[in-house]
Amino acid sequence: MRPILSIAGTTVGEAIRRRVLLIILLVGILFLAIAPGLSILSARQERAVLIGLTLGVIQLTSVVIAIVLTVYMIPNEIERRTIYTILCKPVQRWQFLVGKYLGAVAALALMMAMMTVVLIVVYAIQQQVYSPDQLAPLAKAPVMFFVQMSLLAAVAIFFSTFVTPLVNFFLSGGLYLIGSAFSSFFESISQSANVQPFAKGIATFANMILPNFAYYNVQNPLINPQQAIQNETVYYIQVTVYGLFYIGILLVGGILIFDRREV
Amino acid sequence: MGAAIETKNLTKSYKSKQGGRINVVDHLNLYVEEGEIFGFLGPNGAGKTTTIKMLLGIIYPTEGEGYVFGKELGDMEVHRIISYLPEKPYYYEHMTGLEILRFYGSLFGIKDDDLFKSLLEKVNLAGDMTKTINQYSKGMQQRIGLAQSLLNDPKLLFLDEPTGGLDPIAHIEIRDLILQFRAEGKTCFISSHELSDVERICDRVAIINKGRIAKQGPLDDLLKGGRIEITATDITEAFSKTIQDKDAIVSFSHGRLIVDLPDDHNPNALLDAVRSSGGTIVSVIPRRKRLEDLFLETVSGHDGSSVEIPNPNDAKEGAEA
Repeated sequence: MRPILSIAGTTVGEAIRRRVLLIILLVGILFLAIAPGLSILSARQERAVLIGLTLGVIQLTSVVIAIVLTVYMIPNEIERRTIYTILCKPVQRWQFLVGKYLGAVAALALMMAMMTVVLIVVYAIQQQVYSPDQLAPLAKAPVMFFVQMSLLAAVAIFFSTFVTPLVNFFLSGGLYLIGSAFSSFFESISQSANVQPFAKGIATFANMILPNFAYYNVQNPLINPQQAIQNETVYYIQVTVYGLFYIGILLVGGILIFDRREV
Repeated sequence: MGAAIETKNLTKSYKSKQGGRINVVDHLNLYVEEGEIFGFLGPNGAGKTTTIKMLLGIIYPTEGEGYVFGKELGDMEVHRIISYLPEKPYYYEHMTGLEILRFYGSLFGIKDDDLFKSLLEKVNLAGDMTKTINQYSKGMQQRIGLAQSLLNDPKLLFLDEPTGGLDPIAHIEIRDLILQFRAEGKTCFISSHELSDVERICDRVAIINKGRIAKQGPLDDLLKGGRIEITATDITEAFSKTIQDKDAIVSFSHGRLIVDLPDDHNPNALLDAVRSSGGTIVSVIPRRKRLEDLFLETVSGHDGSSVEIPNPNDAKEGAEA
């Protein structure tokens, strides 16, 4: 466990110093800060627009950070030869990969926490709401986004064990888009009775194999309080376990490939 | 003393762009004795770094087998007692020298700041321990690399170009440190292009060319075969023609005779004959064969395929391959 934590700690240290990530984070925070100004332009309810806009900014910024952070992680270690001085110590390859992943997730958590704090401060100031009871629910969506980003980071780490960073960027980004936008579509086709068996089979297979990123888009009840998730806590636990299951599979797959890979 | 490293037909091949496979390391038989400084030489692209990576368990052999302290390559127990200083090392730039040692130390479960500081002192970086790596010069990075490679008090050190790119003072310091390691009973496996260093500090060497061992053995044995150059004046042409030694290279011009003899030939008879003929001995210069000569002679003109692969047991006994 010790090598994993050491590698994770070093990964966090490196990630929070990477200029490109800091620039993406700063742009995200900047958009969050000016969101109240943009929301008053909308004719719709100011509060709903503010929440929708800020959560959208957090999600989009986190997706870009998660992909940029993880696609270069393993290839950089190989290219800069830092991996050699680590793997010749009593460190197994799986420990290295898991350490890198946990470091990436911890760095993501740190950056997403910063954005969430800015979101809450901006909301509190604009809506003149200072009660913790009213502000705390706002953090629910970012927490679910964090599980979503951890899953995306696992996808990117998996691909990084055998494809180049550029290919990985499009593969991980593509999988995220498909998993966010088309999962419900695949689900409905796989359950429909009026679809040809071949198309149904493909939809069922896609539905089974692709992680459903849309499960974590829980911003609607926050934007529109009339909507609610039934058994909210149970739902959050279920989708978190679902995410951890996929993360586990992706990490095991990545370890199996990385274990035999030439570095 | 047992074997620190032993390989039998260790081979690493890759797919070539033209199809087929290329043997980067080709049926390598190495034997490194515990406690010795072993020089691993070869031109660029000869397969030195690939061999080291296989020995470290970082990459896997395509064929053959290898053992480090009797255990198979990649064994985690072995990783506790070996260390590696890569050529042109790179370390996490945001860390200070002390943090680098803390990080690598943590991989062994070592949390001893006193040890880290003593190692920094040993490599003359005690005054720079709070500087980040991106503030370190190339020589300082090499020295922090050496410090990290000593964290676990290794029994075997793999040093890939340990003095490459260093200024003369740092160069001498690192050379002295390697000698100190031998005095402490450690085994050093050094890959280097600095032939003068290798000649000065190594007990045995192997020369690898195109993935195959071309020469392997104790340095003293490999460097046997020096020559003696005798120069004499006031010599007649008739006398110069009486020199019958078939191994001698004789040149004569305007009464000056130069005879180049293998160093295992006794020169006394020739010297006596010169004096008897009325000639004057100007100089008798023994010329030891240098590692550079051996290296050039081995690498140039060798296509690798015609080289006899040494038996590890022969190498063990110090025989020339």
